[in-house]
Amino acid sequence: MRAKLQCHDVAELIEQEGLSPLPEAVGEHVAICADCQGLVADFNSILTAAHQLPAEVEPPARIWISLHAQLAAEGLIREEVAVIQPTRRAHWWEAFSGLLQGRALATAAVGLLIFAAGVVQLQRNSPVSPAESAKTQVQEPDALVDSGAALNSQEHELRAAEPAGTLASSSPVDDDLQKNLKTLNAFIAECQHHLKTNPRDQLAREYLAAALQQKAELLAEMMDRGRSVN
Amino acid sequence: MSLRLVGRSVLPVLGAGIFLWPVAPALAAPQHFEKHFTVKGKPVVVIQNIGNGRIEVKSWRNPEVVLTGTQASNKISIESEQAGDRIGVSSNLIDATAQPLEMEADFQLTVPEETELQLKTQTGLILVEQVMGDMTLESVAGDVHLKEVSGYIIVTTKSGSLICTQCAGKLNFNSISGSAQLLQPALSNVNLFTTSGNILFDGDFVRTGLYTMKSGKGLVEVRFSSSDSFDLNAQTATGTVDNQAADYLKPDSHGLKHIAGKYTKSFFGTIGQGLAKVELSSYSGTIRILKRD
Repeated sequence: MRAKLQCHDVAELIEQEGLSPLPEAVGEHVAICADCQGLVADFNSILTAAHQLPAEVEPPARIWISLHAQLAAEGLIREEVAVIQPTRRAHWWEAFSGLLQGRALATAAVGLLIFAAGVVQLQRNSPVSPAESAKTQVQEPDALVDSGAALNSQEHELRAAEPAGTLASSSPVDDDLQKNLKTLNAFIAECQHHLKTNPRDQLAREYLAAALQQKAELLAEMMDRGRSVN
Repeated sequence: MSLRLVGRSVLPVLGAGIFLWPVAPALAAPQHFEKHFTVKGKPVVVIQNIGNGRIEVKSWRNPEVVLTGTQASNKISIESEQAGDRIGVSSNLIDATAQPLEMEADFQLTVPEETELQLKTQTGLILVEQVMGDMTLESVAGDVHLKEVSGYIIVTTKSGSLICTQCAGKLNFNSISGSAQLLQPALSNVNLFTTSGNILFDGDFVRTGLYTMKSGKGLVEVRFSSSDSFDLNAQTATGTVDNQAADYLKPDSHGLKHIAGKYTKSFFGTIGQGLAKVELSSYSGTIRILKRD
C-alpha cells in the first residue's frame, strides 16, 4: 500500500516532475487538499503569466563577463565551477548566454550561478592544508585571465565588424571612447603583468576586475554607437 | 587690370563656388525651444541627449519645470512627454546624414528644489545647482559640475571629470580617465573609482560616514581638518604613499587587526576618535594625506 502524501511531498514532487501532467499520487492528494489546490493554481498562474511575457532579448555578453569578473575578483568562483562545461573550446558565459533566451531560464541560471558561488565559498572556508592550497592555486586556471581574453575577442570582433564604424570614426565622442579603450588596455596589461609574478595580490586583482568591467561597459557603448548612426 | 581680365579670373571662382555650394556642409541657425510643465509634487526629470551638448539644471520655488534650449539643426528633434510628475525629454536623430555638430542640443532646466534627475549626454557639461533629490548623471566626455546638491548621486563618465562642491548625501562616481574633486562636502557615503584620473577630497568627514576612494593610476589626495574623526586605511600595489599627517595619526584602536598585505604598501591609523571610515587605494599612483589647516 502506498503511503499517503503530505503537502510538503506534493511541493517536492511538483518541483521534481513538473505540473503537466500532475504525477498520479499528487493528483489524488490535490483532489482532497484545499491548500495544495491553491499551490497548484498558483503555479499554473505563474506559468501562464510566464508564457505571456514577451520574448527576451539575449542578454549581452558583457553582463556575463562583468558578473564573472566580479565573482572571480572576490574569489567566489574558480574556473572548475563553470556551470556548463562546453565541449568545444568556448568560454562558459558564451554557452551560458546562448542558453539564456527566456526570463525564467535567465532567473534560474543566475540563481544557479549564485548557488555555485556559494558552494565554492563554503568549500573555500573549509580547512585546507597549506600544501593543498598551494597545489590548487597552481592548478587553477585564472578566471580573470579568461575574462580578459573574452573581452579582447569582443574588441577584435568589433573592429572586424565595423571597419568604417565606431572604431574608425572621427567624431569626438568616438575618439574619446577609443582613447579610453587604450587607457584601459594599457592598465589591464599592467595589472596582468604584475599578477603573473604576484598572482595572489588581492589589490591588483580587484583593480584588474574593475578595469575589465569598465572595458565590458565601454565595448557595449561602442557597439551601441555603432548600431546608431552617431 | 581690364574688366575682361577681372571677369576671366573672378568668374571661374564664382562659378565653382556656386557649383560647390550645395556640397559644402552648412549649419543652419540654432533653433530655440521652450516648454513648461506644471507639477504637483517632487518631479522626476529624465533627459536623454543622443548627441552632444550642455545640460544645465537650476532650481526655483515654483511647482513648475521649465525646459529651454537650442538644437543645432533640424536633423534632430527634441521630444518631451509628461506623465504626472514624470517628465521625459530626448533628442532624436531624424536624418541619418547628420554630422556630430548638427546633432548638438543644449538644455537648460529650471526645476523645483526637490527634484529627481536622470541626465545623459555625450559631451558637454552637465551642471546641476541647488537641487535636492536622487540623481543619475551620465556622460562620455563631458564634465559634471554639481553645486549644493543633495541626495543619492550617481555619476558615470568615460573621461569626463566631476567637481562636486558642497554636496550632501551619498555619492557614487565611476570613470575610466575622469577625475573627481569633492570640495567642502557633507557626504555621508562616498564611493569613487577612476582608472587613470585623480581624486581629491577636501573637506570634512561626516561622523559614521563611509568613504572609499580608488584610482588605478592617479593621485588620491585627502585633505582633512583637525576636527575630523576617522579610521584610515590606505594601500597601494605598486604606487607610493605620501603620508604628510603622520603626526596626527594614532594606531587604530577599534579592534580590527590591520596587517599590511605581502604585496601592498599600506598604512592604517586613526584621526580623532575614528568615527568615520576612510579607505584609500591606488594601484600604481600616489596616495597623499595631509591636514588642511
